[in-house]
Amino acid sequence: MTPLLIAVVGFLTVCPVVMLLLGSFSRGLGAFGAFTVEKYVQAYTDPAFADILINTALFTLGSAAVATALALVLSYLNTRTNIPFKLLFRIISITPMMIPHILFAVSWVLLLNPTNGLINLVLNGILGLEASLFNIYTLPGMILVEGLLDLPIAYLIIAPAMAAFDVSLEESSRVCGASEFRTLTKVTLPVLRPAVLAALTLVIVRSLASFAVPSVIGMPGRIYVLATHIYRIIATGFIADYGLASAVGMSALATSIILIYVYRHFTAEGEKFVTISSRGYRPAVIDLKKARYPLFGFVALLSFLLIILPVLVLLYTSLVPYVMVPGARAFSMMSLRHWLAVLKDPLSLLSLKNSLFLGVAGATLGVILSVFVSYVVAKVRTAASGILESLSFLSFSFPGIVIGVGFMWFFVQTPLYATIWSLLIGYIATYLPYGIRPMTSAFIQIHSHLEESSRVCGGGTFFTLRRIIIPLLVPGIVSGWILMATMFVRELSLSVVLSRPGTEVLAVQILRFAEDGLWGRLSALGIIMILISTTLVVIVSRIGSRMGRMYESG
Amino acid sequence: MEILIRDVSKDFHAEGRRITALSEVNLAIPANRIFTLLGPSGCGKTTLLRCIVGLETPDRGEISIGGEIVWSREKNIFVPPEKRGLGMVFQTYAIWPHMNVFDNVAYPLETRKIPREEIRGRVEKVLRFVQLEGFETRPATKLSGGQQQRVALARALIAEPAVILFDEPLSNLDAKLREETRKELRSFLTELRITAVYVTHDRIEALSLSDEIAVMKEGRIVEIGSPRDIYFESNRRFVADFIGRANFIAGTVAAIGGSHALAETPIGKVACRAGKGLAPGQEVTVCIRPEFIALKETGTPEGANIFKGTLESLLFVGEACEGEIRIGEILLVARLDPTAGLREGAPVTIHFDPGHCSLLSA
Repeated sequence: MTPLLIAVVGFLTVCPVVMLLLGSFSRGLGAFGAFTVEKYVQAYTDPAFADILINTALFTLGSAAVATALALVLSYLNTRTNIPFKLLFRIISITPMMIPHILFAVSWVLLLNPTNGLINLVLNGILGLEASLFNIYTLPGMILVEGLLDLPIAYLIIAPAMAAFDVSLEESSRVCGASEFRTLTKVTLPVLRPAVLAALTLVIVRSLASFAVPSVIGMPGRIYVLATHIYRIIATGFIADYGLASAVGMSALATSIILIYVYRHFTAEGEKFVTISSRGYRPAVIDLKKARYPLFGFVALLSFLLIILPVLVLLYTSLVPYVMVPGARAFSMMSLRHWLAVLKDPLSLLSLKNSLFLGVAGATLGVILSVFVSYVVAKVRTAASGILESLSFLSFSFPGIVIGVGFMWFFVQTPLYATIWSLLIGYIATYLPYGIRPMTSAFIQIHSHLEESSRVCGGGTFFTLRRIIIPLLVPGIVSGWILMATMFVRELSLSVVLSRPGTEVLAVQILRFAEDGLWGRLSALGIIMILISTTLVVIVSRIGSRMGRMYESG
Repeated sequence: MEILIRDVSKDFHAEGRRITALSEVNLAIPANRIFTLLGPSGCGKTTLLRCIVGLETPDRGEISIGGEIVWSREKNIFVPPEKRGLGMVFQTYAIWPHMNVFDNVAYPLETRKIPREEIRGRVEKVLRFVQLEGFETRPATKLSGGQQQRVALARALIAEPAVILFDEPLSNLDAKLREETRKELRSFLTELRITAVYVTHDRIEALSLSDEIAVMKEGRIVEIGSPRDIYFESNRRFVADFIGRANFIAGTVAAIGGSHALAETPIGKVACRAGKGLAPGQEVTVCIRPEFIALKETGTPEGANIFKGTLESLLFVGEACEGEIRIGEILLVARLDPTAGLREGAPVTIHFDPGHCSLLSA
């Protein structure tokens, strides 16, 4: 089974990379294979390219700094202090699954754009200003929004490290005569260093791959980063130049692959730091005293910005005829006309249908593949399973738009071009690690003794599989499915390359609305998109818990 | 340095419930002795240790170390842990994983702003003392459990504190290593002439390491004494039960005469050591440790505390046989000679010295 899996996963991960590499040395989609370095010369001698690189560096490093700093504060408050309502932290860590990045970016455009951003309009009214106070179409605007979007990724890395932190490391420093400040700088932060660096690196990789924020916020402000530069080459202008896009994409891909291995190095270093865990003694949490509620206010504000505000803004925009300050007049003019327009729009309906299909079918296939791959990675443990693990990990680094260009070179040679199947294959290839990760940890949790004792008790292979392994895997399968389905329903960066007339998907349709300034329809379709994601999550977790119960009683 | 603890109480609040960790503890820990806080888990011994070191603050009371008050609610004094100048070995050792052995051990001296050259010499000396010479540059993540334990000890000793505290330092070692380390620790501490406060739930550790033991239960000190006193002389059932294996027989005091008392029990009259404050007719518990029950050769039984029974079960445990002897309704556990050639079900005659047989008031 292992060779077959290596072949499948190898095809999914290596094929786009090789095709991208070959494509970057080709003249165009029609002239694949004829060797030339022309595109590299053209790409890297472009005088505008230096600015793009600087923008990209500032954007990725800035968002990484914002996301990691916020994540550090949040996880410290959650694990080490007596801040109230700790449930909120869990909510912050899972919401990005519910709100697609492009809608989050759009909602901030609706709030802070200089012409008619809602916050700007309100402030102008109150302060009697002529010009708007805020302009989201700037590099700091992009960094802020991307930083907030990537906050959960950083939080999910730092919070477990903070929770696993042995408090006696700090206590012994105090007993040794060190002040609180010295303990922080000499012990706490150095021990957390691998986790913090891992979070920084991963956020850099994610923001390098990010397309939603650079396209919705950066492009109107003429701030181009690598992802939007590639998009400009293939999607705007007279002729789409895939050779040039590949040549530019190679540097983004190479950077991502290097960074993902750096990330891996940091997580391995972090695991080395895990010491003998303390038994029995639960450390006292830090009493925040008077700062307790003000700090909670900060967390509540952050949750409001991350979760509630985007949805509210979209809902409001979908109901008013054009952008206006909330008030009596706006409420009297509210109607469902944008909703009706969307529901009558054949393209929107087609994109809905396609995304739903890709979400359900893609996640199902992706999860099945992940179960087999994870089994081999976690349980078989041979040299071949090591190869499989590295391969599946590789696609973790893939920037969607670049890998989309790579797949493009492949699909034009096949009948799959411009079909929904090309999107399906592309999605699974790019997001496979998100299915493999929860499944691998589920397999690792099934200690081999559990399996073995079932065998000793007289359970055969299939009996053991049915009664022991599958019930224990259900949570992993459910969370892997949810993660993949929600990612597929909102997928943008790969789709902008691979989606053709007839295979439109939701996020691309929303991008079109944004480019045309049809904010009302965009918001209506966006709300539908959020509803679909949320419904999928609810249904599948219901099924999962019922299956879990069925197995428990059976 | 002597440690004085006066009326110290502490409650924890968890999920709306109040848990009493320490309840009006009064304790004088003598200078230059190894003092052990012994008790089952949850008895408050670790909380008391953490109050002494300053990682936890009591709700009420006063703690002074070497005459200086380090905590007092009434006088509003709290000396933070870094200003108390103590050494401590944690249960998890708390070896900082991002530093090597040298940096870990040198840390307390660095906080005291001691010149680099002097630090180097002192680290070398203390590492030699704990038998870790040449380990200076070894990363902390590359140490075995036993080595981590020694690094933790070296780090606690290097600043030459007057008091060193141990929080179950051997509980993370495997059985064999624990035994060796226990012996080493005893010789290290005796050599240093230092005040040591040692927390453990392991009675053998407590008995073999300590100069003095305080047994704790539910946040209170139940009894204080030397290991021998605690083992042989205690007249509390909880202490006698916790510190070693014991047979308990309920009865009433029948007569008191001189140094001996006679108890009426289901197995007959038992002669015991007379305790304080006993009166005829009082309900008591007779306590006999298994190692003091001996088999008597067949012949005419004479003297006190001789009983006939049957050997109900026999368990070979290596250095001894553990026999259960039934006398009527009562089962007594005895440690018997493994070479005696006994059989299960055989009738036996046992006796025990009244001097090793104590009466517990409760």
